[in-house]
Amino acid sequence: MITGFLFRALDRKAILVALILLAIAVAVPVSNLMLPVSHPLHVPTHIMALFGKYLTYALLALALDLVWGYCGILSLGHGAFFALGGYAMGMYLMRQIGTRGVYGHPILPDFMVFLNWKELPWYWYGFDQFWFAALMILLVPGALAFVFGWFAFRSRVSGVYLSIITQALTYALLLAFFRNEMGFGGNNGLTDFKDILGYSVQAQTTRASLFAATAIALAIAFVICSGIVNSRFGKVLVCVRDAESRTRFIGYRVEHIKLFAFVVSAMMAGVAGALYVPQVGIINPGEFAPANSIEVVIWTAVGGRGSLIGPIIGAIAVNGGKSYFTAAFPEFWLFALGGLFVATTLFLPKGIVGLVSSGFAKLRGPREADRVEETLQPGTEAAQ
Amino acid sequence: MTEKLTDALLYLDGVSVAFDGFKAINDLSLTVEHGEMRAIIGPNGAGKTTMMDIITGKTRPDKGTVLFEGEIDLTRHDESAIALLGIGRKFQKPTVFESHTVQDNLELALKRDHGIIATLFHDTSKEQKDRIDEILDEIRLTERRSHLAADLSHGQKQWLEIGMLLAQDPKLLLVDEPVAGMTDAETVETAKLLRRIAGEKAVIVVEHDMTFIRDLDVKVTVLAEGSVLAEGSLDHVSADERVIESYLGR
Amino acid sequence: MRLIVILLGLLATLFSAALPATADEAELRAAIAKFSEAKKFSQTEAVIEEIAALGDPAAAPALNALSEGVLMVRESDGAVFIIRGTKDPLELLDPVTLEAVGSAPEDELSKVKVKNSIRRQIADVVSGLTLRASDPKVRLQAAATIFSRPDPEIIETLDAVIADEADPRVKQAFIEARAAAVLDSDLSSEEKVEAVAVLRARGGRDVLPILTSVSTSEDEAVAGAALNAISAVEENLMFWAAGQNIWYGISLGSVLLLAAIGLAITFGVMGVINMAHGEMVMLGAYTTFVVQEFIRNSAPGLFDYSLAIALPLAFLVSGSVGLVLERGIIRFLYGRPLETLLATWGVSLVLQQAVRTVFGPTNREVGNPSWMSGSFEVGELLITTNRLWIVVFSLFVFAVLLLVLKRTRFGLQMRAVTQNRPMASSMGIATPWVDAFTFALGSGIAGIAGVALSQIDNVSPNLGQGYIIDSFMVVVFGGVGNLWGTLVGAMTLGVANKFLEPYAGAVLAKIFILVLIILFIQKRPRGLFALKGRSVEA
Repeated sequence: MITGFLFRALDRKAILVALILLAIAVAVPVSNLMLPVSHPLHVPTHIMALFGKYLTYALLALALDLVWGYCGILSLGHGAFFALGGYAMGMYLMRQIGTRGVYGHPILPDFMVFLNWKELPWYWYGFDQFWFAALMILLVPGALAFVFGWFAFRSRVSGVYLSIITQALTYALLLAFFRNEMGFGGNNGLTDFKDILGYSVQAQTTRASLFAATAIALAIAFVICSGIVNSRFGKVLVCVRDAESRTRFIGYRVEHIKLFAFVVSAMMAGVAGALYVPQVGIINPGEFAPANSIEVVIWTAVGGRGSLIGPIIGAIAVNGGKSYFTAAFPEFWLFALGGLFVATTLFLPKGIVGLVSSGFAKLRGPREADRVEETLQPGTEAAQ
Repeated sequence: MTEKLTDALLYLDGVSVAFDGFKAINDLSLTVEHGEMRAIIGPNGAGKTTMMDIITGKTRPDKGTVLFEGEIDLTRHDESAIALLGIGRKFQKPTVFESHTVQDNLELALKRDHGIIATLFHDTSKEQKDRIDEILDEIRLTERRSHLAADLSHGQKQWLEIGMLLAQDPKLLLVDEPVAGMTDAETVETAKLLRRIAGEKAVIVVEHDMTFIRDLDVKVTVLAEGSVLAEGSLDHVSADERVIESYLGR
Repeated sequence: MRLIVILLGLLATLFSAALPATADEAELRAAIAKFSEAKKFSQTEAVIEEIAALGDPAAAPALNALSEGVLMVRESDGAVFIIRGTKDPLELLDPVTLEAVGSAPEDELSKVKVKNSIRRQIADVVSGLTLRASDPKVRLQAAATIFSRPDPEIIETLDAVIADEADPRVKQAFIEARAAAVLDSDLSSEEKVEAVAVLRARGGRDVLPILTSVSTSEDEAVAGAALNAISAVEENLMFWAAGQNIWYGISLGSVLLLAAIGLAITFGVMGVINMAHGEMVMLGAYTTFVVQEFIRNSAPGLFDYSLAIALPLAFLVSGSVGLVLERGIIRFLYGRPLETLLATWGVSLVLQQAVRTVFGPTNREVGNPSWMSGSFEVGELLITTNRLWIVVFSLFVFAVLLLVLKRTRFGLQMRAVTQNRPMASSMGIATPWVDAFTFALGSGIAGIAGVALSQIDNVSPNLGQGYIIDSFMVVVFGGVGNLWGTLVGAMTLGVANKFLEPYAGAVLAKIFILVLIILFIQKRPRGLFALKGRSVEA
């Protein structure tokens, strides 16, 4: 059963991508740690950290693509799952600070001492254990996605309505996490981390390990997604995207299918957030901002939705561009990003990947090119 | 409901549904026997499509009884549950999954476990593959099996959709305007295909094309303003004064 | 007693200072000048009588000064002054206008002499001057002053005044002031119970401390009546507080309505998700800023008309940006709502950054014209003028839009295109232009919403972002394609929000509302007032 899934998952493309990611997972940390700074192949720590961040974004975009590109659910609230995973990790890291905080309280994080809290809130219990935090990184986003999706998909909220309420969801969470009373550090969020699994988060080796872990996580997620997409389930996802009611009429429980994809996607987003937090050293309510979630959509769109490589390329390309622009021409970044939204939707509906594959198809022959062109058009709900 | 109320495969009694006060279906009663093929005709707005919506669970009737196999109350089930009970539907406008190949379309429609675990992990068995080959042969798409459904001609899409219905292996097929947009030759072939299917499965065909209905040579039900106007052979109903009136208007 | 007289005197001064000098002033000055000749107490009393007869509240400062012994006569010319300070030379104030008019050494001045009987006489006269002032405003204010500092000694004066008062409103105020004073006195229990009844009937927050102070009285009848009265007054106050909440809710609702109404057209009627809608509002607000800047620099006299000038301009600015947006981008994306959403989000980023580049990232100052500032009270309701105008304005915009949709040819074409595009097109309606102008109309209305919102919100490049989610919530909650739904949706959300706020706080209230809407959409995916029919199903 599982072998069949894996067999389907590891098609040529998946093997290639997984190998590249694993190679990066080894090569970059090795070059960073082993090679002298002067060596031409040395990867400086700040570059490694930057790309580590991009890889978590790529994982987030991949998660979004699973529901948007394949199932047609445009979530404008995926940043919420990312942030929840990040907060779960952040809570673990806060508990690891121990007495090294400013107030030196053995149990309570600094902000709670500052707020004059006497006891740890019940929902902070267990986060001193890594296994528990790891479980919560999957369960909290998954549970939120399950509850939200259960209601939304059962009552057949779809299309833009769904997009708008996912946005409302992350907005509500944004407001909630800004409140000090929530017990998540309010405005400032969680920061000043010291250790992860006993190693200092600042240490170069830890940073290299986190980078490797992110690349490996992305490779695993890619293989899982590839398995999902290549299975009959993945084909049904596309059916739901293209002709939802037709899918119902041949006997598929569309709401269950959507719910499963949504929950898996939310968990992946949670993992991405959890890997993001120790690398950037902070998590705050700003991660819940609706604008962030919409930006994830543009990464996916630029790279090419409905393909698994697209979102990874898109996340790295757009964020690379952002890093470059915000340093070189800070005034122009929003113009560029806004223009990117417009240009992608108007001229590149299938993103970079679509452009490349239709280019290849054109090389092969005009008939083929037409076919690819045709399939590139997003399917429309034709069932009445 | 433990006791069978009727031996008919499909049993509609006193069904009514209104949209914003407009009565789309008005006290409609209809029975279809096992293996029977029934043609349904009627002017635009007679309620043909709404009737299919009710049978397949897309629309819930305001009142009335809809029973399948004499004991299953269809008004209590949704579309996917009804499909799994054994009612397949072909839409007026052909709807196939355009970004999948012809073969994938059939594989997806094939009658088997549609649960999440099964769809994620189960392979297609040898028998299932054979069944798909059979259907491909039946709908004459064997050569195009690995083409995308989007590339098919209109008529081929209609056939693929019928093929998907066959793959579902339903007890009752609802076929809405199967020959719209087909050439004459294709129409004749389609009639033959449907007649082969009938007998084993019950079929309800909604069609405007009278030549096609004549080719089918089955009992005809005429719908008008949401209820049954006449029933019988095509010759019988086309002689009916009220039928002529409702088609031509006053 | 002294305190209240001084207060009344001050009050009188305030009013007389506010009023233009009249012919009476000369008479008053002449009368006051006579103090220089009053050598005996009886003469002083006569002068006071004479001043009292003039009935001018402006006399109060001089009389109070006399009572306090700071009314002095300059020996050289017999002029009368109020003096200030004790340091030699003493500062001289005009006895009527209280302006500083110079100074004089102490030995050149002589005090007008008073004794206690004269002081009492002055007290009566001063309170009489305000309590019997010809201007009813002065009398009302005097009553309020007494009410806020009840003094049993003034009861007798009040009794006389009440008997003579003709204006029922003022008379009521005096009766209430007297009741407050009675409760502070040692009058009989019946009198006090009656006074409690008067205060209970008056109601309001300010009777509570007075009633509370007597509720602990040893006299059980009085204490009981006071306790009853307190609960009655508090109940009444709760009622008013609810009213105030409703008003705040309507006020918030009207802001939501303004922000959402343009969206109701572009999203509701056309099915276009315009994420740049908030930026259309922002452009309207910046148009107001530009108009006001221009007026400040070139025609300051027109400032009060700045909003009227900004309205059409904002409509044009936002409307034409909307037109360009529709022609340039959105029309290529019809039928692909999710793509439209993304593209317009991109446009919103560009517009924000453009405004940030031109006007800077900080808040810009947009002023309230004079007719929009201030506030007034209705019963216990506090209503600020600018909010009131925004409520009126939002309803006006709503009504006009409804008329445009229902009564004009353009509205008819718009509805035709919404309901059946191919049919409308085949009947000769230029559907692309109907689309374009519908979108421009929706955007233009967002622009004029921006003019109104510039009066109550910070005008910054982020202005629009704050409204976009709320406006979508309103439209989705109210039901797509129905303007009445938008009105009801906006008002419901506004009032619900304000009612939750006292219990949950502003942020939690907002979260509650969002969660409620998310749940509501599950129940009624098409909103409160869903359009039924095939067109919305597609």
